Amino acid sequence: MSEQVSQLLDSLRAKAEKGELLYIGENVVRVDSLEKVLGNPVYTADLIPKGTIYAKLFHSSIPHGIVKRMDLGAARSHPGVLGVLTSKDIPGLNESSAVLPDRQLFSDPVVRSTGDILGAVIAETSPSASDAAAKITVDYERLPTIFDPIKALEAGAVKVHEKGNIARQMRIRKGNVEEGFSRSDIVFEKTYRTQFQDAAPLEPEVGLAIPEDGGVRVIGSMQSPHHTQAAVAKVLKLPPEKVRVIQAVTGGAFGPKSDETPYDVCSTAALAAVKFRRPVYCGMDREDSMVMHTKRHPFVISHKTGVSKDGMLLADESRIVGDTGAYASLGVFVIVRATFHTVGAYEVPNVKADSYLVYTNNTYTGSLRGFGGPQAIFAIESQMEELARRLGMDPLEFRVRNMLLPGKKNATSAVMDASCGLPQCVEKVVNSSNYREKARRYRSQTGNARRGLGIALLMHGNSLGPEGNDYGAVHVEVLSDGSVSVGSGLTEYGTGAISGMMQVASSVLGVPLSRFKLERPDTSKHRESGPTVASRVVVIGGNASKLAAEKLRSRIIPLAAEMLKSDPENVAMADGVAFDRRDPSSTVQWDDIVAEAYRRGISLKEDGFFMAPAAPWDQEVGQGTPYVQYTWGALVVEVEVDMGTGCYRVVGAHAAYDVGKAVNPAGVLGQIYGGTVQGLGYAMMEELLHKDGVVVNPNLGDYYIPTSMDIPEEFKAFIVEVPGPLGPFGAKIIAEPPIVLPGAAVRNAVLNATGVSVDDLPVTSEKVLMGMKTEAAAHYR
Amino acid sequence: MAKRAVTINVNGAEHPVEVDITDRLIDVLRDQLNLKSVKEGCSTGDCGICAVLVDGKLVNSCLMLAAQCDGRRVTTLEGLLEDPAMKRMQGSFIANNAAQCGFCTPAMLMASWDLARHSPEPSSEEIKVAISGILCRCTGYYQIIDSVRQGCEKGGR
Repeated sequence: MSEQVSQLLDSLRAKAEKGELLYIGENVVRVDSLEKVLGNPVYTADLIPKGTIYAKLFHSSIPHGIVKRMDLGAARSHPGVLGVLTSKDIPGLNESSAVLPDRQLFSDPVVRSTGDILGAVIAETSPSASDAAAKITVDYERLPTIFDPIKALEAGAVKVHEKGNIARQMRIRKGNVEEGFSRSDIVFEKTYRTQFQDAAPLEPEVGLAIPEDGGVRVIGSMQSPHHTQAAVAKVLKLPPEKVRVIQAVTGGAFGPKSDETPYDVCSTAALAAVKFRRPVYCGMDREDSMVMHTKRHPFVISHKTGVSKDGMLLADESRIVGDTGAYASLGVFVIVRATFHTVGAYEVPNVKADSYLVYTNNTYTGSLRGFGGPQAIFAIESQMEELARRLGMDPLEFRVRNMLLPGKKNATSAVMDASCGLPQCVEKVVNSSNYREKARRYRSQTGNARRGLGIALLMHGNSLGPEGNDYGAVHVEVLSDGSVSVGSGLTEYGTGAISGMMQVASSVLGVPLSRFKLERPDTSKHRESGPTVASRVVVIGGNASKLAAEKLRSRIIPLAAEMLKSDPENVAMADGVAFDRRDPSSTVQWDDIVAEAYRRGISLKEDGFFMAPAAPWDQEVGQGTPYVQYTWGALVVEVEVDMGTGCYRVVGAHAAYDVGKAVNPAGVLGQIYGGTVQGLGYAMMEELLHKDGVVVNPNLGDYYIPTSMDIPEEFKAFIVEVPGPLGPFGAKIIAEPPIVLPGAAVRNAVLNATGVSVDDLPVTSEKVLMGMKTEAAAHYR
Repeated sequence: MAKRAVTINVNGAEHPVEVDITDRLIDVLRDQLNLKSVKEGCSTGDCGICAVLVDGKLVNSCLMLAAQCDGRRVTTLEGLLEDPAMKRMQGSFIANNAAQCGFCTPAMLMASWDLARHSPEPSSEEIKVAISGILCRCTGYYQIIDSVRQGCEKGGR
């Protein structure tokens, strides 16, 4: 045994002896690292069997109209084509929707956006399917269009759906804003706008269907296999058990793969597989994906905020309008989360918010990392900066005066408990960025290159809260070879959360994660565990995994005690070795305990099920405790702006997040770095552009996402640990939060460097330059 | 479609293959030679995750025709799995949590291995340039850059 290994074992033993946590808080290697660096064939497209045929989706070319006639003749006679599927080929329900039944799989006869799918060409090869699809011509009767969500709310506006253009409405009524405004020394109103963002996972949406047993096996890239199973079964008019859905290793997801697009590709592949009795691959290429999948909602958010002279927030009234495009998708929950976060991480005694999720003829929007948070926080943190300037107060000081602390109440009047680690986060980023000294120095800059600091604070509700019951089921089974197999309906799609969930079981059992194996999520084997969304795997799945492991431990430790001729209370397990605390030289190996259990017929499989406590709130007034706990965070960015051109770059980022307990710190840092950079893309460059409802930049050449050359030279990330009440060992969620803050932080940094307020994301150099040419900006300079 | 017989040296072995003249290198590598580490993310040369070495140069295999590779040497990650410098790089990627979804990982490894051959102690700037043609949507690049720096130690030798 090498010295290093024996030292590690000693330290684990010492911990186990004292009953301390094993592995938690260590940079344990993920269960799926090796297959990834080996380039193993584990993704959907790698699993296409011989004899597979290909489905190419085709979509509407107009944003609103009635399909009068589709000429499919040329496509059908194209070489290699086996057929064209349209709505007429659907045996079951022509529906592909997550929440409201407002969207068809193949639109017929009304198309409401250019992302509406009309059907699919099935061919022997992928190029032949694509070439044939290009030959399809469609005659439409054009209908009037509406693209502006604010106009869509007006009386007499073009209706996207018969019921009208409001898909969901919500409100908050806390205190009395009129009374708050009347006591205010300054009342300031401004409107902020955000853009369409594309999640751009490097693997687009793909599904593979193989006919079997009077039904179909579906393998795909997705977040929620059980939801996909239900959606496919509905379309095919099959009992759900005839649709077996397996999640392949998934090449990034970020939200859209929990929404309706995986249903589209999997249902289409399954339809064709049943019809043609062959395996069918339905893979979106990048353009398909960027046109047809869900994006981040553009929001228009107006704030009217009252403050006292000494910088205390007294009232905030907001109007929040989200453009959901032609269909609601998971947007019905996005608007709720945005509304609950409308005043962000601050205590405001009087809050009034009215929000609307609005249909337009743009392509549809839905779930995307942050889930309404990035839009809401961009607006309120921009408003905070504007207020600080009008008060003549340092923006940091103004925020600190108003930020949430234990005992204070957020917008829903939930009282913050002792697990609020916001002040610690602020302290970290302020010190790391040398904020106070630099902010002072940068006030008197001259010259062409000017620096600015921007700060933004985060409150991010944990748990599904308003979206439904928040539960997870995890199966843990010790196999006869001593390895530990873990299965769940919860999925891994890049974050490492599933490894973290397994690390929890590893800690409880005292067996290293290297002995653990992840089963591919499979609806025929694993029970439904709710959607894999809201960054909830470590927190909810981790609790379920902990419960399963504890039940196993309660059988394994007594057995080990018997083998050690000791008592269960004196037996500890570390790194796969059980030992007697009173005589640590007396040991028994994990593999021997497992073998003994198998000899005696002791079952070593367990299911853990965990349901988060209820999160009640009153829909009439938006008041209550819609979240069980909160993640806290703070971000400071430093920009340098070229005053001649408006070009700027982020030279430094300082981020701190209170994650309760970092199960795997390297994984947590990976989320902070990755989420922040994706958020910097949102802040600085990303915008999926629609012109009259047509996406004009559906490719990664014209839609920019950050490259390695775009990231800040300096990035300091800090993990703060103030344990929360919900997660295992106090863990809070972390995958989504880091994308939330960069929008406002960059915008505020540019404002402080130049005097230019850019109120619509992204903050492009063009907008900065145009801003510098106005008189208002000159006033600040 | 017109067919053409070509011979491509892939990972050290000569492969006579019949290709359509419009087949891209990535199609032949993935579909005919079963080299699935080569990923397709955009099909337009923007994301770089299909990167392989052609005669020792990093290229996007979605932008090169298979017919252009007649008589050339192509290297994919599968061909370097026993290479000590690649093993060091892979170990560094694992140790530094550089693979999240893993879809860009093979191309990142190819670019990093290529850098390590030429630059035993690259600066952060050199590393950023070396991987700049490959997009990663998960990591924000920092843990990849750390991995490459450590994986380059002693160069590729």
